[in-house]
Amino acid sequence: MRVTLKELSKYFGDVRAVDNLSLDIQDKEFVALLGPSGCGKTTTLLTIAGFYKPTSGSVLFDGRVVDHLAPRERNIGMVFQSYALYPHLNALDNIAFPLKLKGLAKRLREERVKKVATLLQIEDLLHRRPAELSGGQQQRVALARALVKEPDLLLLDEPLSNLDAKLRIAMRAELKRLQKDLGITTIFVTHDQIEAMTMADRIAVLDKGRLQQVGSPEELYRYPANTFVAGFIGTPPMNLLEAYLVVQEGKPMIMAKHFGFPLPAEIIRDLPHGGERREVLFGIRPEDIRLGHGEIRGEVYVVEPLGRDVLITLKMGEEIIKVLAPADLKLQTGEIAKLSFPPEKIHLFDNETGESLLRRNPR
Amino acid sequence: MRTYRGLMRYLEGAVPYILMAIVSAPFLTMYIGFFLRAFGEGAVLGILPRKWGFSNFQFLWKPIAWGLGQTTMWTALGNTILFAVTSGIVVTVICMLAGYALSRVEFRGRNFYLVLQLVLHAVPGQILLIAVFFLLLYVGLLHRIPGVALARASLEIPLGIWMAKGFFDGIPWDVERSAMVDGCTRFQVWYKIFLPLVKPGIAAVFIWGFLFAWHDFIYVYTLLPGTIKVMSTLIQSLLATEVIDYGYLAALSLIYAVPPLALFVFLQRALLKVPVFGGKGIG
Repeated sequence: MRVTLKELSKYFGDVRAVDNLSLDIQDKEFVALLGPSGCGKTTTLLTIAGFYKPTSGSVLFDGRVVDHLAPRERNIGMVFQSYALYPHLNALDNIAFPLKLKGLAKRLREERVKKVATLLQIEDLLHRRPAELSGGQQQRVALARALVKEPDLLLLDEPLSNLDAKLRIAMRAELKRLQKDLGITTIFVTHDQIEAMTMADRIAVLDKGRLQQVGSPEELYRYPANTFVAGFIGTPPMNLLEAYLVVQEGKPMIMAKHFGFPLPAEIIRDLPHGGERREVLFGIRPEDIRLGHGEIRGEVYVVEPLGRDVLITLKMGEEIIKVLAPADLKLQTGEIAKLSFPPEKIHLFDNETGESLLRRNPR
Repeated sequence: MRTYRGLMRYLEGAVPYILMAIVSAPFLTMYIGFFLRAFGEGAVLGILPRKWGFSNFQFLWKPIAWGLGQTTMWTALGNTILFAVTSGIVVTVICMLAGYALSRVEFRGRNFYLVLQLVLHAVPGQILLIAVFFLLLYVGLLHRIPGVALARASLEIPLGIWMAKGFFDGIPWDVERSAMVDGCTRFQVWYKIFLPLVKPGIAAVFIWGFLFAWHDFIYVYTLLPGTIKVMSTLIQSLLATEVIDYGYLAALSLIYAVPPLALFVFLQRALLKVPVFGGKGIG
């Protein structure tokens, strides 16, 4: 099923939880709503589910406005962060509950519960109460309950955040696989960019109720539309340094406190006029910096081995820059390192608006 | 030295018990006196019984005379049970519905209504007696046990609503949302999911409504005719005679006290059955 959010806004008093959000989610697509806590992602999800009425704008399912429909009339499955199982019912009755409300016969109910329980490998747990299940098992039961009614749309509200790290990684792959196999349109809310990157077909990044950028994980990583997305996607986050963009003899130049170099003109949207110094934020990802050669110098401040890589913090005067380098690179604290920023990997943002100044096409 | 220190430690440990004994002495004296009276016969100095027996409990098989009329203990006990159970059920049904609404539904005047309940609870029931009298008279429920029970229940509903709301507040929103996604209407959420989860609350609110009606005197005394006796008015009418048989009264009072205790024991399991909500680290 296709889901369309049309200029959706939700205010709580003066607080704009969701502000003019437009988003088109294709049939069978897996979309993540990503953002820090308080960004409006859960409000958006609850509005799609029908718990909140939009202050303005609409939610459309397959092109039909559903704002007037109650949650139970929308045929959605939902998994909550707390799983929200019914404590007084065992796993079987929990999963069968939506079917029971639909008035399905007992034999049919049990058949369908069996099927979904097999899919999620919880056949042996069906007679246990939620209190007798581990977190991971509870989550599977909650997922089974959401899937058993064969919903048109699956909504997941931070379903992985209560699992331990190892289980979370395993469930990430499993959920992704399950979603592709079942082909149910899925909206997934998370504050964890790695979860969003690994699982979603497309990610919608939200901040302060506003949509920052929508795109595939790769697009968001390679072409962040603004400093918020640049800082939110990728670990460790992108280095952002204050700099000037100037045009000298028709060639754009980036001028920072401790370095400066020419840039290819074709990557930059509306260049400043000759003689104008435009304040910008210069961005480069830690993994894109080349260490070992180049004109730029930095003093090694901290070295953090991460196993496969090593995270090096360099000081250029007062400015701090992080570099992710292969682990075989041996550097001592206090050493002066040579580094360079490959022009095709750099990012430029307007210092005031935070918007990207790069063209997306040429790369 | 060692024995001295041991003695001090012993005394130190005894202090809380001594204090508790002093504090509870008056109550214990009353209860002991009560039992001595009920089971003792031919008391000396009004306290010490000459022999033990059940002769004070003769009302169990003999009618009780008061003034010119007579009744049996069983009729009075039955009336009291009808009165208290009716009140308990009315209080429970209304408080469970209102408590859910006040806990979960947003509506204009919700906070005002909540504060109003507390204010209403502060109003003594006695000052409403005249109004209640006429109200019951108009609707034709005066002098009937269910009617008076309804009036009595209304006194406990305000605080009962707060109690019920507290229990509903303890259920996570996600459980309610989950039920609504699963296909429940608001009423089905209340009936199928919430009521089973607040069993301790149901028991507590029922006991609340039941107990106050069980112990009530002024409402049944004023609004029921003298011919319909409940336990409290029966005991009062026996006190109002010229010769008071204290042993008899104590035995009757003992019977009066048993049902609420039995109810507590019966509902104890429900009271302690608090559900555990799923999700690690989530309350």
